[in-house]
Amino acid sequence: MGRWAAVRSGLEEFYAGPYRTTMRRARRDEDDLFMLVVLTEALGVPDPAAYWSAELLPATYEEFHAWHRRVGMERSPLDHVGCC
Amino acid sequence: MLLSGRGDRGDPQLLLVSGKGGVGKTSVSCAVALKQARAGRRVLLVSTDPAHNLGHAWGAPLGDEPRRVLHDAGHVDAVEIDPALTVQRHLRAVGETLRRMLPERMHAPAQQHLDLAREAPGTHESAVLERLAELVVGACHPSSAYDVVVVDTAPTGHTLRLMALPERLTSWTEALLANRDRSERFGAALRGLGAGEEHVDRDAELRRVLLRRRDRFAALHELLVDPARAGFWLVTTAERLPVAETQALHTQLRALGIPVRRLLVNRRSPADGAVLTARRAVEEQHLAVLREAVPGVPLTEVPLLPGDLTGETALAALAEHLGG
Repeated sequence: MGRWAAVRSGLEEFYAGPYRTTMRRARRDEDDLFMLVVLTEALGVPDPAAYWSAELLPATYEEFHAWHRRVGMERSPLDHVGCC
Repeated sequence: MLLSGRGDRGDPQLLLVSGKGGVGKTSVSCAVALKQARAGRRVLLVSTDPAHNLGHAWGAPLGDEPRRVLHDAGHVDAVEIDPALTVQRHLRAVGETLRRMLPERMHAPAQQHLDLAREAPGTHESAVLERLAELVVGACHPSSAYDVVVVDTAPTGHTLRLMALPERLTSWTEALLANRDRSERFGAALRGLGAGEEHVDRDAELRRVLLRRRDRFAALHELLVDPARAGFWLVTTAERLPVAETQALHTQLRALGIPVRRLLVNRRSPADGAVLTARRAVEEQHLAVLREAVPGVPLTEVPLLPGDLTGETALAALAEHLGG
């Protein structure tokens, strides 16, 4: 990397970095809320829409591990989801 | 509208028959269907009652797929909705998607999760709604092979919850879609700030599932509240409790914006002999209460008929009394 390119990328990181973190956090908050809706039944809160929310499960399952770590649970809170 | 076959714009008509348990909803539904078929219309008759009686009325075993029970100038196809079958179908489809997307070791846990959904409160009801929406929205489409759809509903409480669901679930999916919108906007902003692509496939998949859901609920809700295409008949007997329940049902359907077309007072006692004459006088009082509580809805009285209301002949005799 040339010197100018290095300076340029450094500046970009300096300006864009904090915004990226904010955006990523905001997106995660939305995704966490969504995850909660989909997993309500499994977390022990009766979900009258379980029939419908099950349909959303396939698309969120892979992120379950990252989610429970993020919300402060070291291990998977669900007996039947053995991600760790 | 109802009972004149297709509406002004050529749309099939939806008639829902409801009322307290034991007042004769099934007999009335079958009699209307028979009358319509004899007038040359193609009728789909659907029962949502968990304790199905349609098969008994027609003397034929029925199931979750429409089966021809009457050939006349038109015909009647009857269905008894089987929620367990719908749940099974639905969860199997979800399960297949899960297995396709997840690594092998996650298959068993995913299946366990789905088993939880199977037993969740509300799942049975959701399945009835799913199948009803599928049948009714399909059969009420202008290009459908039916002219009239008659639904023999479960007793009051069950039916009211069912009728409120499409609207509630539309809001439920809207809320989740709004959540997806926000998440995707942040995702787009992130990409604009030079972060890599992530979750793009997942987002598209979630959105597709939610939109399909919303469209189905919205179609059913639109149909139910359209006075040109749908309406309820409330069946009751001239007794205190059924009358009270009919009033409540009428009020709640109105609150949901669902039109009530007619009140049918079933099994009116004849002025014949001391006991029945005295009964008839008591019935008059309950009828007066009903007329006052539900003004502006036409009321038809159906006399007490001798014999069981099963089979074509008996249903035709009842149909005589249903009026236009």
